[in-house]
Amino acid sequence: MKEQIPAIQSEALAQIAAAHDERSLEEVRVAVLGKKGTLTLAAAGMKDVPKEDKAEVGQLLNAARSAITTALEGKQSALQDLADQAALTGIDVTLPARHVATGALHPLTLIRDEAISILRRMGFSLADGPEIEDEFHCFDALNTPADHPARNEKDTFYFDSGKLLRTHTSSVQIRTMESAKPPIRIIAPGSAYRRDEIDATHLSVFNQLEGLYVAEDVSLPDLKGTLEYFFRELYGPQTEVRFRPHFFPFTEPSFEIDVKLTVKGQAPRWIEVAGCGMVDPAVFDAINASRKDKAFDPEKTTGFAFGMGLDRLAMIRWGIKDIRLLIENDMRFLKQFA
Amino acid sequence: MNVSLNWLSSHLDLSGKSIKEIDDLFTFAGVEVEGIVSKGIASDKIVVAQIMEAVQHPNADKLKVTQVDAGEGQLRQIVCGARNYKVGDKVPCCLPGAELPGGFTIGETKMRGVESKGMLAAAVEIGLPPGEDGLLILPEDSPIGVPVKQLFDSDTLLELEVTPNRPDLLSHYGMARELATLLKTPLKSLETRSADVSSASSVRIDSPAACPLYTAVRISGVTIQESPAWLKQRLESIGLRPINNIVDVTNFVLHELGQPLHAFDAAKLTGSIIVRNANDGETFLALDESKHILTPDDLLISDESGAALALAGVMGGQESGVTESTTDILLESAYFTPQGIRRTSRRTALSSDSSYRFERGVDPQGVLTASALAVKLILETAGGTAEPVTQVAGEAPVLTQPVALDETKLNQLMGSSISLTDAGEILTRLGLSKLADGTWNVPSFRADLQRHIDLVEEIARVHGLDNVPSRLQSSFVPASPVDAAYDADMILRRRLAALGVFECQTIKLISDAQVSDSLTLRPMQDGDVIRVKLPLSEDHAVMRPSIVPGLVASAARNVRQQQKSLRFFEMGRVFRNSGGGKAKDQESETLAILISGGTAPTGWNQADRQADLYDLKGLINALVPNKTIRFSPRDRDGFALGCDIKADDQNIGIFARLKPARERELDFTSPVYVAELDLAKLRKLLTGIEHVEDLPQFPGSSRDAAMEVATTLPNAEIENVLLKLAEPLLVSFECFDVFNDPTGQKLPADRKSVAYRFQYRATDRTLKAEEVDAAHAKVLDALASKAGVKFR
Repeated sequence: MKEQIPAIQSEALAQIAAAHDERSLEEVRVAVLGKKGTLTLAAAGMKDVPKEDKAEVGQLLNAARSAITTALEGKQSALQDLADQAALTGIDVTLPARHVATGALHPLTLIRDEAISILRRMGFSLADGPEIEDEFHCFDALNTPADHPARNEKDTFYFDSGKLLRTHTSSVQIRTMESAKPPIRIIAPGSAYRRDEIDATHLSVFNQLEGLYVAEDVSLPDLKGTLEYFFRELYGPQTEVRFRPHFFPFTEPSFEIDVKLTVKGQAPRWIEVAGCGMVDPAVFDAINASRKDKAFDPEKTTGFAFGMGLDRLAMIRWGIKDIRLLIENDMRFLKQFA
Repeated sequence: MNVSLNWLSSHLDLSGKSIKEIDDLFTFAGVEVEGIVSKGIASDKIVVAQIMEAVQHPNADKLKVTQVDAGEGQLRQIVCGARNYKVGDKVPCCLPGAELPGGFTIGETKMRGVESKGMLAAAVEIGLPPGEDGLLILPEDSPIGVPVKQLFDSDTLLELEVTPNRPDLLSHYGMARELATLLKTPLKSLETRSADVSSASSVRIDSPAACPLYTAVRISGVTIQESPAWLKQRLESIGLRPINNIVDVTNFVLHELGQPLHAFDAAKLTGSIIVRNANDGETFLALDESKHILTPDDLLISDESGAALALAGVMGGQESGVTESTTDILLESAYFTPQGIRRTSRRTALSSDSSYRFERGVDPQGVLTASALAVKLILETAGGTAEPVTQVAGEAPVLTQPVALDETKLNQLMGSSISLTDAGEILTRLGLSKLADGTWNVPSFRADLQRHIDLVEEIARVHGLDNVPSRLQSSFVPASPVDAAYDADMILRRRLAALGVFECQTIKLISDAQVSDSLTLRPMQDGDVIRVKLPLSEDHAVMRPSIVPGLVASAARNVRQQQKSLRFFEMGRVFRNSGGGKAKDQESETLAILISGGTAPTGWNQADRQADLYDLKGLINALVPNKTIRFSPRDRDGFALGCDIKADDQNIGIFARLKPARERELDFTSPVYVAELDLAKLRKLLTGIEHVEDLPQFPGSSRDAAMEVATTLPNAEIENVLLKLAEPLLVSFECFDVFNDPTGQKLPADRKSVAYRFQYRATDRTLKAEEVDAAHAKVLDALASKAGVKFR
């Protein structure tokens, strides 16, 4: 027995060392420590060991079990390390990615959202109105003379019903003032329609963003401050903004707004981006007549309005040379905005 | 309007002003400068040079190597291909750095191996009118080395856009008057002659409302001939073609003063001039040879014969105009009311420089001034004798009235950026004058200044917004329902983009043919389509009742571009009548989605998978993940697989596949699935949860069941049985496999196997196996009895 136990131990340790995977290691464990394992059987022989040897043999047994168990654990851990290492080798991290479908918002949505975000920070809320309008909201109430060229059937889409497709989002000014009282501080993005043949710079259906602020003591400094701030937020804090006197029937004084933009490799130039002005008192008169009250007393109420072409802002922002790209939905174009 | 800088300079001193300064001046006066065209030689580096030597180029038959003296102290070698010169001639020499029309800059170069330090130029190459072929030969006495531009007239043509409220700017004098105001420089006084007038019997106005003032002067014994050079030059400088001295004078005066004139051949007139309305159906032959049938709203210049001599203020007649044989003329200068001219011009589609000015409004006080200037110039250029008195009928209307300037309102609007004194000074410069009662008298040429705000506009314009402070202040505003809708739409847009769908923008006017691709929430009936009256083309004739037609067209275009994976959406308005054209036109907002072809690009580890209807269903469910999206079949005309889309129990839209025939017609190679959803309803589903649910405290158990059913049995019937049963312990169920065998070997061909997993759980305890089994048995019983399910 005293000779047998060290022999079992050394053989087991040799087998453990020789095991090359989990399975062969397990076979060794069973062969040595299992129910019929060599060490288990040797331990069972303890009963036949003479009393005086029991202590010594017991010690031998314990030492063998401990050595074998340690060796088994050590080997198992070594095998696991090898397996882990194998699992991590041979992976080519430079192979291309698995495609994950990505879509994109339309550039018009991007520029509109940017404009709206800026204007909301400035305390404007959204408003809207119908695109199929009547002459009152599109022209009359906006102080447009009865024989104004814009009312021409050559320039404006009409329906048999006598209604028309709004030629500007300014009709939303009227819709809003009819149903709300000052102070009014709104913006209205939306489509407008003109009978223009579609070409590189014109669409018969285009997108505008209208703004209106009506209250007591709204002044030219408010108009100027608001729009300068807006365009500097949109195009950068250093952007130069200039106001050129202009004429619109529904604002007086009226201005067109240019911003000075630098396109890479070109001299900076002024680009027209919006029209604006102080609401003409005649508009308030028309609103009061429509409301049958004096909510917009021209003696006390003042306001400013502005409008800009969103398609144009998008074209300026991304250097889009042909406006038709905005309605053709060519994937090669849309993908660039992903 | 075209304005010549030289012409303008005849009225005020613009010397020392650069083109850029003048551009800015107009721009900030409210006159848009649309174009600036320099005429004549621009560059200082084009100088007079004498050709001292010309020898044959060693390597080119057609070239010569010249040595020229450009006044630089040494000769300059230039290779030249022209043949029309001789040694000793003086010609324009473009030195290196000279900029030529077209943006071309001269440099030093080698031509066929020989150095050439500049260019000898032909007239047209340096911006002069084309002359003989070859080099421009300059006069012998031209001083060597001086810029050639000094030897030729130059001018600048300004293309200006005048806003409709400023007819007073539609002439050189009017523009000069405006610039003089802005520059605070004096205007050269206009040489005017006050005419003797008589209210004559030889002119009769029958329509004083349309023609308040008409004047005529007879000039006899004129010679119709070419205009003198100065006059032709003036007209040519603004792009007009000289015709003869009489016509040229009337055109000159129109562009000088803004008052249109008309000259009749007096020999073709019978008795008095009569200004009258046309008879209904009366015909008029215009001098551009167009023929017009008139209405009583049109104003005619006629005479006692009743002839239609001219369409008042719009165009002369062919019969009564000045010809080469004319000897006596009658010169008309009148004021016609703008509205009438505008209506006639539009109705007849005739427009002219005259009608353009009359319909915007000319200065009634300028009628006689213009007539007098024209008479003077006609006598100078055509000889003859003018009647000593001008025949005048009617009188100049007074279109202006004194306007008060309110200091409080001025300060309010201008942010107190200008004093009342300075404001008054601006008005004075603009020709207004302060009356004893403090109001402002407005000159006759500024009929646009009627109200207080009109004066403020002038003050703001001249003062400049640069001189107004910026105020940055805001007020608090509540969010509107439109804000809420916008925010919801942006959430949907961003979700769709993140799900790999591309946003489109299509045109809201579509063709009649496209209407059949419409997938409207309520089916269309005849007359529901809203049609524009005068479409630009058949492609854009009706308002879209649905977004799907636009997406289908966009997808078809991309198929032609070889795109394999089509995933598009668009949000926006759709339009329809709700009662066959008899009810109100309605605008609502929808979201349309189209998918077709590969679900994603293929890759080294990704096989191609074609999108099917469950992909689109999944996209819709991903928009509102806490709702269950169900498709409920409902046939749609023109589509296959039509379904109502339900979120929980609410109808929120429609799904369909294009008919395979339509797909083939549009060259699609994969099925095209579309959906159109009601945005108003979809937005409400985005509100999110109100309370969180407690997490389950006890484990649940699951049971699977494989059911054999007829292949025709919709899954919805199984779901409906389960929903109706409402077994309290059944917390969820899921279909995880569907199998059928068309060969009939594993399963009869008309049967399919549907496998479900059922999840059971109680909120207050761990379920015992018997409890789960009992609940599961109830579920299976219900399926067997209500849906005819057999279990395998």
